[in-house]
Amino acid sequence: MGKNMANYKLVTPEGTKDYLFNEVTLRNKITDKFRNLFYNHSYHEVITPGLEYLDVFLAKGHGLPIEDLYKLVDNHGRLMVLRPDSTTPIARLCATRLKEEELPLRLFYNQSVYSLTEQNRGHSNEVRQAGIELIGDGSKRADLEVLYLAIQALEELAPCKFRIEIGHIGIYNSLIEQLNLDEETQEEIRSCIESKNYPALNERLDKLEYSPGIEVIKRLPGLFGEEVFDEALDLIKDEKTLDIIEYLKKIYVSLKQLNTVGTITVDFGIVNKKDYYTGIVFKGYLEDFAGEDVLSGGRYDNLLGYFGKEAEAVGFSINIDVATRVLLDRNRKKNGADILLLPKKGYEIEAFHHMKELAGKYVVEQSLNKTIEKSLAYAKERGIPFLEIVGSEIERMEVTKQS
Amino acid sequence: MNEGGREGIEMRQIRIALTKGRLEKDTVKLFESMGFECGSLKNKGRKLILPIDNKPFEVVLAKAADVITYIEHGVCDIGIVGKDTIMEYQGTFFEMLDLGFGKCKFALATKVGIDFYSGYNEKSIATKYPNVTRAFFKSKGMDVRIVKIEGSVELAPLLELSDGIVDIVETGVTLKENGLFVIEEIADISARLIVNTISMKLYKKEIEALLAEIETVPKE
Repeated sequence: MGKNMANYKLVTPEGTKDYLFNEVTLRNKITDKFRNLFYNHSYHEVITPGLEYLDVFLAKGHGLPIEDLYKLVDNHGRLMVLRPDSTTPIARLCATRLKEEELPLRLFYNQSVYSLTEQNRGHSNEVRQAGIELIGDGSKRADLEVLYLAIQALEELAPCKFRIEIGHIGIYNSLIEQLNLDEETQEEIRSCIESKNYPALNERLDKLEYSPGIEVIKRLPGLFGEEVFDEALDLIKDEKTLDIIEYLKKIYVSLKQLNTVGTITVDFGIVNKKDYYTGIVFKGYLEDFAGEDVLSGGRYDNLLGYFGKEAEAVGFSINIDVATRVLLDRNRKKNGADILLLPKKGYEIEAFHHMKELAGKYVVEQSLNKTIEKSLAYAKERGIPFLEIVGSEIERMEVTKQS
Repeated sequence: MNEGGREGIEMRQIRIALTKGRLEKDTVKLFESMGFECGSLKNKGRKLILPIDNKPFEVVLAKAADVITYIEHGVCDIGIVGKDTIMEYQGTFFEMLDLGFGKCKFALATKVGIDFYSGYNEKSIATKYPNVTRAFFKSKGMDVRIVKIEGSVELAPLLELSDGIVDIVETGVTLKENGLFVIEEIADISARLIVNTISMKLYKKEIEALLAEIETVPKE
């Protein structure tokens, strides 16, 4: 039962891991694709420190509870945290070093974020994210640009099918505002909607004095999918909420016109806890994977204000780890090289020449086994589909077809 | 090659994680009243993954807390689990139906003849549910010492390990026979139907149809 630190010398901390070989290759490949995509749309890369003062993350309504942050103390006794998200430090950056820059600013990042997750639940405490922030514009075109790039980014993950779900934080906010409730009741209702807990939501709302808004809120968690606008427009009568729904509908229709291979859906019941969001919110999912969303974003017009600069902003982040994991699952059958090369005796140098021709197009590995049988067995074990034998001519064998 | 069946959504059946034991029996009754063929589920032997023979569902039998884990990670889509487990383990999922069976209560209990709240000494509470206990006393603004017990919690106050217990009370018979009584009820418990947040979107039609069907069954 000794609590000696040396006990931990052989393991990585919970929620972290070492990344090896093809996982790293794939992760870099995905990262490069995103970097090119963002760069080609005039976004500029920034890196913020891994360590920040705790104060950076204390904006009112910041989604992450302080309990979930990795905290450290610097040599003046000041509380520091490992960066739990990238949007907030970038907001800080825009309000300080970049405050004289002409707006809009288009920034992107590719860095890890850290948070403490529930123990033994199999979640990650270190997550690699890439993302963009479009700072200084509150227009519909800015929203569309960011959503367009979110779709482009997910298309880079082909052949995985994806779906993007959009919502608007204002729908719930404007409905709940009309009820004039205290903060605690609001939070109870919010969390019922978030967990689509109809029984608890109905029970809670039935205790309140009746108003038409209550009936709408009851239906809110069920308003999601592809064909929900008519139902919502039928249900909702107040002008402020209707305007927001009309706005969301315009965005939805525009995205449909992009003709993406992904599916676009709507959820009126999005009531994110990460409530620095003020406008549209959206999430992306890969269809083979119900474990976690792969992309998440939205508009956050008040966050820069916390750092002393009023500027509208919208952005998203992609979880590179989830993307890598899902693509890796797909490629699992083929985790080695594409081609294994076995030189016949005396043809070693020819084999290298041939290797040079293939490299670039394929991943080529030299077989260090002496016989064809052993090379085939090796290829089979590693999932390498082809074996090529280099002699006076080159013979290609399909590994799976050999017994 | 793909025994897991996770390749492509077309191939994947909707998976229901079911809490073993009493909730399992009540759920099978519910399913049968809806016309589900539960033959495989009733004669399961040692199998843990079982098909519903006439519906595109398969059932996974698991311990209560594991049901939540499987739902959170998206390896099962729908879960049937007690509110007690949900309160203790929390997690991110949709809690969509109160199934109305498996009813009982969380309660604070102590030995007959003891005035639990009197005196200045720090109270200690034995429980299988440390998170529920902590949340309950936090709402009262009261510091307590929590001792986690795995088996019969009623023993702890009898052996004078703790001043009280927080546990599930169904009929109260066990408490009574051991000279304990309920001081305060903490929360009502019943079986809930939970859904993975992403599955709900992917299989909206199928899951909504199932929920609607369950709701047409009269509750006992």
